[in-house]
Amino acid sequence: MELVTGVLEERKDFIRYDREGCGGSGIRCDTNSVSGAVSQRACVYCGARVVLNPITDAFHIVHGPIGCASYTWDIRGSLSSGEEIYRNSFSTDLREQDVIFGGEKKLTKAIEEVIEKYSPKLIFVYATCIVGVIGDDVNAVCKSMSEKYHINVIPVKSPGFSGNKSVGYKMACNALMELIKGNLATKKQVGVNILGDFNLAGEIWIIKEYLRKIGIPVISTFTGDSSYESLIKAPTATLNIVQCAGSSTYLANRMEEELGIPYIKVSFFGIEDTTNSLIRIAEAMGNEKAKEKAVAFTREETARLEHFLSQYKKRLMGKKAAIYVGGGFKAISLIRQFHSLGMETVVVGTQTGKKDDYEVIESIVKKDTIILDDANPAELETFMKEKGADILVGGVKERPLAYKLGIAFCDHNHERKHPLAGFEGVINFTKEINESMNSPVWEYIHELEEE
Amino acid sequence: MEQTLVNLNVNPCKMCMPMGSVMALYGIKKCMSILHGSQGCSTYIRRHMATHYNEPVDIASSSLTEEGTVYGGEENLKKGLKNLINLYSPEVIGVSTTCLAETIGEDVPRIIDNFYEENPEYRNIPIISVPTAGYQGTQFEGFFKALFQVVKTIVRKSEKNHKVNIITGPISPGDTRYLKNLLEHFEIDYILLPDLSENLDSGYHKNYDRLPSKGASIEEIAMMGGARYTLELSTFTNKENSPAEYLYREYQIPYKKLNLPMSLRDIDALIKELKYLSGKNLSEEVSTQRERYLDAMIDSHKYNSVGRAVVFGEPDFVYGTVRLCAENGIVPILVATGSKCPELKEKLQEEVKQVAESAFVEQYEILDDVDFQIIEKYAKKWGANLLIGNSDARRIEENLHISLVRRSFPIHDRIGGQRLLTLGYEGTLTFLDEITNTLLAKTESSFRRALYEKYYKGEKIKYQSQNYLENRVFNKIKNRKHITNIQLKDRGKEGSNMLKMDTSTKNTIEQKTKTHPCFNSGASDYARVHLPVAPKCNISCNYCLRKYDCPNESRPGVTTEVLSPEEAYERYLEVDKQVPNISVVGIAGPGDALANFEETKKTLQLIKESNPDITFCISTNGLMLPVYANELVELGVSHVTVTMNAIDPTIGAQVYKYVEYMGVKYKGEQAASILMANQMAGIKLLTDKGIICKVNIVMLKGINEKHIPEVVKKVKELGGTITNIMQLIPVKGSAFQDLPLVSNKEIMDMRKTCGETMSQMYHCKQCRADAIGTLGNDRSIEFSSCKGKCGSKEEVIQELQTCHKSKLLRFAAATKSGMIVDQHFGQVSELYIYEYTNGSPVFKEKRNINKYCTGNEECGENDKISMIVNTISDCDGVIAMRIGEAPSKKLEEKGIRIFTTYDRIEDAVILAASEILK
Repeated sequence: MELVTGVLEERKDFIRYDREGCGGSGIRCDTNSVSGAVSQRACVYCGARVVLNPITDAFHIVHGPIGCASYTWDIRGSLSSGEEIYRNSFSTDLREQDVIFGGEKKLTKAIEEVIEKYSPKLIFVYATCIVGVIGDDVNAVCKSMSEKYHINVIPVKSPGFSGNKSVGYKMACNALMELIKGNLATKKQVGVNILGDFNLAGEIWIIKEYLRKIGIPVISTFTGDSSYESLIKAPTATLNIVQCAGSSTYLANRMEEELGIPYIKVSFFGIEDTTNSLIRIAEAMGNEKAKEKAVAFTREETARLEHFLSQYKKRLMGKKAAIYVGGGFKAISLIRQFHSLGMETVVVGTQTGKKDDYEVIESIVKKDTIILDDANPAELETFMKEKGADILVGGVKERPLAYKLGIAFCDHNHERKHPLAGFEGVINFTKEINESMNSPVWEYIHELEEE
Repeated sequence: MEQTLVNLNVNPCKMCMPMGSVMALYGIKKCMSILHGSQGCSTYIRRHMATHYNEPVDIASSSLTEEGTVYGGEENLKKGLKNLINLYSPEVIGVSTTCLAETIGEDVPRIIDNFYEENPEYRNIPIISVPTAGYQGTQFEGFFKALFQVVKTIVRKSEKNHKVNIITGPISPGDTRYLKNLLEHFEIDYILLPDLSENLDSGYHKNYDRLPSKGASIEEIAMMGGARYTLELSTFTNKENSPAEYLYREYQIPYKKLNLPMSLRDIDALIKELKYLSGKNLSEEVSTQRERYLDAMIDSHKYNSVGRAVVFGEPDFVYGTVRLCAENGIVPILVATGSKCPELKEKLQEEVKQVAESAFVEQYEILDDVDFQIIEKYAKKWGANLLIGNSDARRIEENLHISLVRRSFPIHDRIGGQRLLTLGYEGTLTFLDEITNTLLAKTESSFRRALYEKYYKGEKIKYQSQNYLENRVFNKIKNRKHITNIQLKDRGKEGSNMLKMDTSTKNTIEQKTKTHPCFNSGASDYARVHLPVAPKCNISCNYCLRKYDCPNESRPGVTTEVLSPEEAYERYLEVDKQVPNISVVGIAGPGDALANFEETKKTLQLIKESNPDITFCISTNGLMLPVYANELVELGVSHVTVTMNAIDPTIGAQVYKYVEYMGVKYKGEQAASILMANQMAGIKLLTDKGIICKVNIVMLKGINEKHIPEVVKKVKELGGTITNIMQLIPVKGSAFQDLPLVSNKEIMDMRKTCGETMSQMYHCKQCRADAIGTLGNDRSIEFSSCKGKCGSKEEVIQELQTCHKSKLLRFAAATKSGMIVDQHFGQVSELYIYEYTNGSPVFKEKRNINKYCTGNEECGENDKISMIVNTISDCDGVIAMRIGEAPSKKLEEKGIRIFTTYDRIEDAVILAASEILK
């Protein structure tokens, strides 16, 4: 296996590079980033914040020096139909003195002040990198505050160095379980909880409306557009539906085991996924009428999109896509969406994909498609150029790289301001791909290259 | 937030030290940064910078783990240095520490020494260590700390040279370029540290530089020790981080600190200094710039006098902006920085006081170490009408409706932050204009209403109801619609004039009709080919079920496959070779030819190129006929069949479920009237141009049977050539599946009656959409690309849905995503159970295996498999992506069938069921 410049020796195992036609026996993944390789990954705190941030009436207190709070303040597109507290950044802003003498007192005072001035029902305290190192016992502080004020002050163990983003998801799920179990509601009602939807660009509103149309009640949402009151109702639901499986399967499993709520995984990306998911939810609820409605509704919506898609397909057919996203599910779903638009995926990578994600990816892409785990800009650059990608789908950091390489870009991240879920999402996604890839600017750019 | 919190920073007006450090290092040629700490710091800073600069920002991380945190991160850092050298080939490296590295006490200079010792080949690459604990200061201090460390590490005692050292703080690449131009204008030989002009605002060029190659080089920086003078453009550096002071202490280079040149006084001060250093007089160009700036100050002074600004951000930026405001009569009612910087107040107090007093403003404040919570509070309390600073104040802008003039870093919600100008006469002028215009925009957009509300005392109607405006808009749209209709009509006329047939074309059409087997019963020896390129339909007829598809059935709307125009062309060539007497190429679905107009057009164009004499025939429901009639004529279509079952909307409403027209779905009589109007208009358009139109009418018992003679009369009136009254073919699953049939006699009688009005077709065979050959002998199956193979998935599904109704089968699917069969059987922790019945798969439940067994550690591989097998012993089949031999055996013993696939679960279940039911 010969590799081109731009790939470090110790990164080779993380890449399926099949130039000579030799298939790999799976790539290395799910491990620590290589130092100095310029990983695109974030940290544990980031993962935890992704999951918990959308809870609209919670006070999210970042215990640590200012940086972590600074870079995560109101950067995500989770929308709220109620409170806006979550859009603020709260930090204990630790200084040199606190590092020397410990930050517990500062944290205690901060929590007390928040409670006294705002009487919140829910506070999350994120423990960042140095908190453990300087010896602060965040758990103890949270516990004593909870007991003193009889509200939920929940610690989120998220020092950046203790793993990657996935660990952060898990820590957030643990925090959510602590919340639910501390407020256990018992009386069951027929309805579902939606897990793993963060209401980016109003996506949970779209899904809830679909469910309303087919007659399935939604009890609670994790965590898009949720609140303390809505979250603690979750145990009363009869079924959990899990959307962003990467972040929320762990929570679904715990809820199944400890609260006896079964779950099914669903997806609302693309027409087929959306259709099957709605029908499946109705089936899982044993609701024949809902199923009929789901069948009719999805058929109607699909028909509505037919003309639109056939128009756009003509302009997208045969183009090449590169994908670099957070998790495996998203990557797989994107490969399939591109496929349905007549596009081929030539490079695909994820930050935190697992072994079986990559197996699936391998089985659905062409043999010479590059597969990358925890890629860096140098690798993305190398392989996108080599494979002649027309468009990259990725996060904010990848966008300027694509542009500098003269490649179109689709924003599939938490900052976007247009929904990509459901039937509406199909339209937005297809439009965005077309708008970027078929923009007139590329003609001028490529003219320049020919000169 | 109504109440301020004193123990928390709420919405930070600052970033951390490492951010400033890596930013400064971007102004050094071929410098790569690595952060010693956990992965997130580098990623967050990259994201923050990339969104502002719209440039790729590559910053490595030593990716400290739990282990590194406990035992020290030396190995991580050394490995990181090696890797980044391999990837980026830098000429210099900056190692900035983070909270974590500083807290665990990493000795970076020692680690760097060890690195050189172990890797002597890298000794030529200077590595600069910048201690930047996030808790020690903000990005502002981090920026100068990095410069200080660069100077300390790189500068050596060197020969005296004639250069002037220019040190800047975090200014935009655009401003840096201005500064360089100015220095060149004065012909000053300078060393600029950092030189941020290019690396974070680079152009597009063919070859991408992974590590940008502009900026101050190490060689230049080394020479700073021999410079004749240092100009430091910062008000707030100190002994700890001022490069100028360091160079003076170490190399006795005289220096001067100047404020950022963002106000008349400060620009003048810089120009004066440059005049002195260069020994040159003020050029006409610069003095003209100054005059223009003065003129602008006069032009906008009255507008600016209402300005009540909140100025926030890094100390130097805030200081310069406040002085700019003060000179122009804008009162900075709140001056704020997130850095700890008590000097700000000392230096600005007098200035702010003066401008406030002259405007009779009593309340103003200068604060350091503040967050946006405080800033918002004052902005609201003291009635600010202007915010000046970075985009982090967008929340205040949103909440309080106070416009924000975006400058400094970061700017995340607008593009071009890297090019914004604030320095020099020209840069400051663009800044001032923007400030003034922001104030003006507010006045301009609100003064009419404000004055009306304040002074108009009569009866108020103007702004009271939203309806007032809406009604006006509505009327406008209504008028526009009216116009469009007229235009459409006119266009139609014009089109028909343009395309008037000459007699020669007419003759060809007559000729063609003679050889068209459908239009001339005497032409039965001539064959036709129907090319199925049109799958979509835009109406829904109650007698039609578009899904149904079987090669052995013959009726309209049926085809075994849909072809692309290119495939259709191939099919035509093939058929032309093998079937004698092909005279007609028709497009008859399986949907509607005009609902797929692009495909229809392409197909006909391709064939026309190879055989211009062939007869083109299409059949359509007529909905889109008015739109495409002219194009059809141009394409050379000579024969068109329109299916028109009624001309009365009340009857039509019983035949059509819906009509989709121009993106809107219509139902009932509305749908029918649109359809019929278009059918009739379309037929008229065609017959006017000499096109032969046949009208098909499906005779529907109890619905249109009495109405048909009227339809035929209408067709006659419209210029149609022939009508074809057909029997209903009842299709299972369609709305009319149980509609009683008309007898042959009834059909014949009807044809006879209508024959008195116009000629009737008696020989229709109601062909398939992919029919080939003569009317009496369909050979389409010979040409089907799937002949010999079993049907497509859709066909199998269709067949199953009709053939195997009652059988119930149960399947277990191995899925991770929940959507797709995408898991190894041996790896499942849960299985999705589906029941298959009546041709459709139904999700039943999810069964967990892990409840009893958590994997290999606790129970052996075999046990786990037994456990899985037991969980699904009631199933008829298992569907997985892959499956091992041992479990296969176990399942077979139990009589459970195995299917491996990667497919949508529902589809996989159907296919598996079909296998079992075969």
